Amino acid sequence: MDISAQISLTVLMGVFLVAVATWLTRVENWRSYSPVGGGAIVDRSGYVEEEKPAGIIRWLTTVDHKDIGILYGLYGITAFVVGGLMVTAMRIDLVTSESLLGTATYNGLLTSHGITMLFLFGTPIIAAFANYLIPLIIGADDMAFPRINAIAFWLLPPAALLIWAGFFAKPLGLFGPAQTAWTMYTPLSTGAAGGSADMVGGAGVDMMLLGLHLSGVATTIGAINFIATIFTQRGEKVTWANLDIFSWTVLTQSGLILFAFPLLGSALVMLLADRNFGTTFFLSDGGNMLWQHLFWFFGHPEVYVLVLPMMGIVSYVLPRFAGRQLFGFKFVVYSTLAIGVLSFGVWAHHMFATGMDPRLRTSFMAVSMAIAIPSAVKTFNWITTLWNGRIRLTTPMLFCIGFVSNFIIGGVTGVFLASIPVDLVLHDTYYVVGHFHYVVMGAIAFAGFAGIYYWFPLVTGRMYQASLGKAHFWLTMIGTNITFFAMILLGYGGMPRRYATYLPQFASLHQLATLGALIIFVGQLIWFWNMVSSWFEGKRVESADPWNLADDGVNTIEWQWFGTKLDTQLATDGGEADEVATDGGQVDADDASADADADPETNTE
Amino acid sequence: MEAKIFDRETILDLVVNFIPLGIILFFIGAFAVFAPWGFEPMASGLMFAIMVVMFLALAVLTYLSAKAIAGDEKRATVYAQGQAGLEGAEPIHGHDDAADTSAATDAEVDDTESTSE
Ligand code: HEM
Ligand SMILES: [Cu+2]
Repeated sequence: MDISAQISLTVLMGVFLVAVATWLTRVENWRSYSPVGGGAIVDRSGYVEEEKPAGIIRWLTTVDHKDIGILYGLYGITAFVVGGLMVTAMRIDLVTSESLLGTATYNGLLTSHGITMLFLFGTPIIAAFANYLIPLIIGADDMAFPRINAIAFWLLPPAALLIWAGFFAKPLGLFGPAQTAWTMYTPLSTGAAGGSADMVGGAGVDMMLLGLHLSGVATTIGAINFIATIFTQRGEKVTWANLDIFSWTVLTQSGLILFAFPLLGSALVMLLADRNFGTTFFLSDGGNMLWQHLFWFFGHPEVYVLVLPMMGIVSYVLPRFAGRQLFGFKFVVYSTLAIGVLSFGVWAHHMFATGMDPRLRTSFMAVSMAIAIPSAVKTFNWITTLWNGRIRLTTPMLFCIGFVSNFIIGGVTGVFLASIPVDLVLHDTYYVVGHFHYVVMGAIAFAGFAGIYYWFPLVTGRMYQASLGKAHFWLTMIGTNITFFAMILLGYGGMPRRYATYLPQFASLHQLATLGALIIFVGQLIWFWNMVSSWFEGKRVESADPWNLADDGVNTIEWQWFGTKLDTQLATDGGEADEVATDGGQVDADDASADADADPETNTE
Repeated sequence: MEAKIFDRETILDLVVNFIPLGIILFFIGAFAVFAPWGFEPMASGLMFAIMVVMFLALAVLTYLSAKAIAGDEKRATVYAQGQAGLEGAEPIHGHDDAADTSAATDAEVDDTESTSE
C-alpha cells in the first residue's frame, strides 16, 4: 500500500499544481507584472499607479508590502490556532498517566505542534510585522523586491499542507503524520532505511521534510529581501545611527536566516535521500552525531531568529508607554549584533549528553555563557527604561512587561542548562521544555501580542476592546506561568520529555500544567473574539496618535503615515459620531494630560 | 578619522560587547592552563577554534558596526528611534543618554565633540 499511496499522492499533487498554474495564467495579465513590462516602456507595467483589483484577486496578486504583511499575519495566526489546538489536545491527553489518544496520535501531535509553532507561526508572524512596518519606519516605498516578497509568502501555504499532510491522509487510509519530534533525530527518522521500520510516519515524514524545505526556502527569500531593503531603501534621514531597534533586529535575524537555513535545507535533503534513495549519510558510523550537528547548527540560531525581532518589538513599544526613549539604545543594538554572531558558536549545548569529546563540549559551554550577557543587557535596559517612567498599563504595555518577566525566567533557566554538569542531569527532562516555553510562549508570543495590540489601530483603523485585551493578558500570563513552572518542577523530579504516559508520582504536576494550558486556551478564545469583532465593528480611530504618544515626545513615524491615511480617508467615510476610546489614552482630545492612571477602567466598557 | 569615530563615547557603547569577548578570552586562557582531559590536537584544536573564531567574528562585527553607527552619528543628525523623518521631531544631540532626552534637559548634555547638525 505504501508504494501505491505514494504514487497516487504524487499524481494528485501534479494535477493540483497544473490546475493552479493554469488558473493563474488566466486570472492576470502577467506581462503587466514583469519589471520591464513588454519592452522599453517601463511605465506601462505600472502596478503601483493602478487601483488594486477588487476582492480575492487583490489578495492573490498583491505585491504591496502592507497587504503581504497582513497575509503573513493571517497565516501566522491560523498556524497559531492549529498548533494551539494540537497542544490543547495533548495537554488533555496528559491529564491521566495513560494516554487517552494513543501514543501514535500523541507523537504526531507533538511533532506537528513544535514545527507548526516554530516554522508556520513564529517566523511568519515576525515577517508580518516586518513587512508591514519596516518600509514605513525606514522611509522606503516598499520592500526592495516586491514580487519576490509575494513569492516568499505564497510558498508558505503549500509548505503547511505538506507539513500537516499526514493528518489529512490518515482518514483516507494512506499514511499517518510524522512522529519524529521537531528535531527529527536519526536513526528514528531514517525510517525503514535505518531500521526503525517507519514506525514514525512513513510518507508522512517525507511530506513533512518537503514542507519544511519549502518553508525554509520561503524564509530565506524573505530574509534576503529584508537585508536588501534595510541596506538600500532607507530614507535619507535614516542613517545607521537612526535606524530603529526593530529594523536592527530584523536585519540581524535575516543574517542568521541566511547562514542557518541553507544548512537545514541541505540536512533535510540528505535525510530525504537516506530515506528514499539509498544514500547513507546518517546511517554510517557517526551518522547520528552528524545529524545532530547539522540540525543544531541551524537549530540554535533558529531560536534567536524567533526571539530577536520580538525583542525588537518590545524595545520599540515598551518605551512608548514609559513616556521616554529606550534607555541605552545603542547597548541594545550592539548586543543584538553580538547575539547574532555568538548564536553560531553554541549549537552543541543541545548535545552535551551525546558523549562528544569533553574538551569540545567545554568550548560550547564557554560561548553559551558569553551569549547570556547580551540578553541580560537588554533585560536591564528594559527595566531601566521603566524606572521612573510615566508608565501607562495599556494592553500592549502589559504584554511587554509580561515579556520581560517571562524572559528572565526563560533566560536564567537557559544559563543553567548551558552549564555541562547541570545539563547532564536535566537534559531531556521537562525542565528543558519549561525553559524554552518560557521563551517561546512567555516571551515570543507575548511580544507578538504586544505588537498586534499596539499596531491594531494602525492596520485596521479601529480600536480593540480594552477590557477584553486585559482579560486576555491576565489569563495568558497566569496560565503560562502555571503551565511552564509546573514543567520546570516536573523536570527537577526527573520527568522525561516527549512521553504520552508517565509514572503516577508526576500526576499532580501534569494536571496542574494542563489546568494552566486550559487557562491559556480561554484567554486565546477571548483574544480571537476581540480581534475578529473589533476588526469589523471596533470603534473607528480618528486621531493619528491614538496612544497619545506626542504628549511625551515618543511618537514615531509609522503613525505619521497613519495620519496621512486618515486624512485621505476622512472625505469618504466620515459620519460616525462615536468617540474613540483608546486603550489607556484619553477619550477627549482636549481633555489634556492623560495622567498615568487614567486607564484602564475609565474608558473600557 | 578612526580616532574620531572611536572616541570615549563610542568605546563606552561598545563595553556591552567587550564583556562577552572578555568571557570568551577568559575561557580560552582557563582551558589553556587547566586541561583535565589532556591535550589532543584534534579535539583540543576544535575546542580552541570554536572560541577563537567566535572571538574574532564578534570583534570584527563590533568594529564594523561601530564604524557604521558612530560614523553616521558624526556625519548626520541623530534622532530617537523611529523619529527620523517625523515632523517636529527633536534631534538628539550626539548621544542617546536616554535619561536626558525625556525632559527638556538636552541642552546640558556634555558632549562638546558632537558635531551633529
Ligand atoms: C539566555 C540564553 C540561553 C541559553 C544559555 C540557553 C540554553 C539552552 C540549553 C543549554 C538547552 C539544551 C537543553 C537540553 O536539551 O539539555 C536549551 C534548549 C532549548 N532552548 Fe535555550 N537557551 C537560551 C535562550 C533561549 C532562547 C532565547 C530560546 C528561544 C527563542 C531558547 C529555546 C530553546 C529551545 C527550543 C530548546 C530545546 C530544543 C530541544 O531540545 O528541542 N533558548 N537552551
Ligand atoms: Cu540553543
